[in-house]
Amino acid sequence: MLQRLIRFLRREEPSSKIASNRLKLILVQDRLGVNEEVMKDLQQEITQVLSRYFTLDKNQVEIDLQREDQAMALVANIPIRGMKGRD
Amino acid sequence: MGKVIVITSGKGGVGKSTSVANIGTALAMLGKSVVVVDADIGLRNLDIIMGLESRVVYNSMDVIDGSCELEKALVTDRRVENLKLLAASQRNNKTDVQPEQMKDVCLKLRETHDYVLIDSPAGIEQGFENASSAAEAALIVTTPDVSAVRDADRIIGLLQAKEVSDLQLIINRFAPNMVKKGDMLNQYDVLDVLSIKLIGIVPEDPSIVGSSNRGLPLIYDATSEAAGAYKRIARRLDGQDVPVPEFKAIGWFSNMFGKLFGLD
Ligand SMILES: Nc1ncnc2c1ncn2[C@@H]1O[C@H](COP(=O)(O)OP(=O)(O)OP(=O)(O)O)[C@@H](O)[C@H]1O
Ligand SMILES: [Mg+2]
Repeated sequence: MLQRLIRFLRREEPSSKIASNRLKLILVQDRLGVNEEVMKDLQQEITQVLSRYFTLDKNQVEIDLQREDQAMALVANIPIRGMKGRD
Repeated sequence: MGKVIVITSGKGGVGKSTSVANIGTALAMLGKSVVVVDADIGLRNLDIIMGLESRVVYNSMDVIDGSCELEKALVTDRRVENLKLLAASQRNNKTDVQPEQMKDVCLKLRETHDYVLIDSPAGIEQGFENASSAAEAALIVTTPDVSAVRDADRIIGLLQAKEVSDLQLIINRFAPNMVKKGDMLNQYDVLDVLSIKLIGIVPEDPSIVGSSNRGLPLIYDATSEAAGAYKRIARRLDGQDVPVPEFKAIGWFSNMFGKLFGLD
C-alpha cells in the first residue's frame, strides 16, 4: 500500500512494467536476430513508402514481430487519415 | 499406449524436477500408470525429491548398455505403486547417451504406461536433445522473470523446430503479492510474449523446502496452495476441464491481522 503510494507520488513506473517492455524487445531481437535499430529503420522506410499513398500520422505507426505457431509474423498497425491525391 | 511428455525450461533451477515429481505423483493418484524419467545425467536429483534414493539400484545407462532389463531398472514409489522412477546415472556424462538411445527407452516405456514424464536438464545442449528425443508433448516451466521467460522462448523455438507442437506452459513461483505491488510480471505479460497455452500457475510456496527435506512430494501436503496447483495441472494434462483460478494477493487488512496475531 504505502509503497504504491510513494511510487505514485514519485511517478515511478513499477518494475514489472519495465520488465515486460524489456522482455518484448529482447524476444524480438532473439527471434529474428535483429536489433532495435533495424526495427526503427524498417519502420521509417515503411512509413516513407506508405506516405506516398496515404496521409498518416508518423508517430502512430507501430511495427511489431509476433510469433504465430511455427512462423514469425510482421504485424503493422498503421492508422490512415486519408488517401493522397495522385496525379 | 501412453504419452511421452518432456518437462523442460532452458534456464536452470526454475522447478522442472519439482514439477515432474508432483505432476507424476498426482497423475498416479488419479489411477494412471506413470513413469518419471530423470534425464539429468550426471546431476541426478529426481530420486531425492521423491524420497526414492535408497531404492535406486540401476539407472537408464544400465538399460542402454544392456546390463539391466528395462522393467528391472524401474523403482516403485513408496506410496503409490503405479508410479515408477527410472533414475539417471550419476557417474556418467550427458554426452555418454545419444538421443536415439534415450528415445528407444522412452518409447518402450510408453507401451506399458499411460504417462512417461521426462525431467530435462537445464540448457539447450545434448541433455535437452536426449530428454526431448521421444517427446510428443512438452511442459515448459518458467518463473515470472525476464531471464527465465527469454530462455523459455528459446526452448519453445527449438521444440517447434523439432515439430513437437503440443506445448503448454507452467508459470512457477508466482507471488500474487509481488504482482499486486507491481514488482513481478503477471501471467498475462508472460503469456502475451510466449503465446503458448497455459496449463497452470504454481504459487511460490515455502513449504517446498520442508517437503524436499523429507523426500515427500509437496502434493501430500493438503494445505499447500502449490500442491493444489499441481493437482489441477495433472487433471488438465489428463484431459479434464479445470479452470485456472486467479491467485489473490493477501490484502493489507488480512496481512495486518496476520501480523498482529503472529500468523505471518
Ligand atoms: N513453487 C515454488 N515455491 C518455492 N520454491 C520452489 C518452487 N518451485 C521450486 N522451488 C525451489 O527451487 C529450487 C529448484 O527447483 P528444481 O530443482 O525443481 O528446479 P530444476 O528446474 O529442476 O533445476 P535444475 O535446472 O537444476 O534441474 C528448489 O530448491 C525448489 O525447492
Ligand atoms: Mg532438475
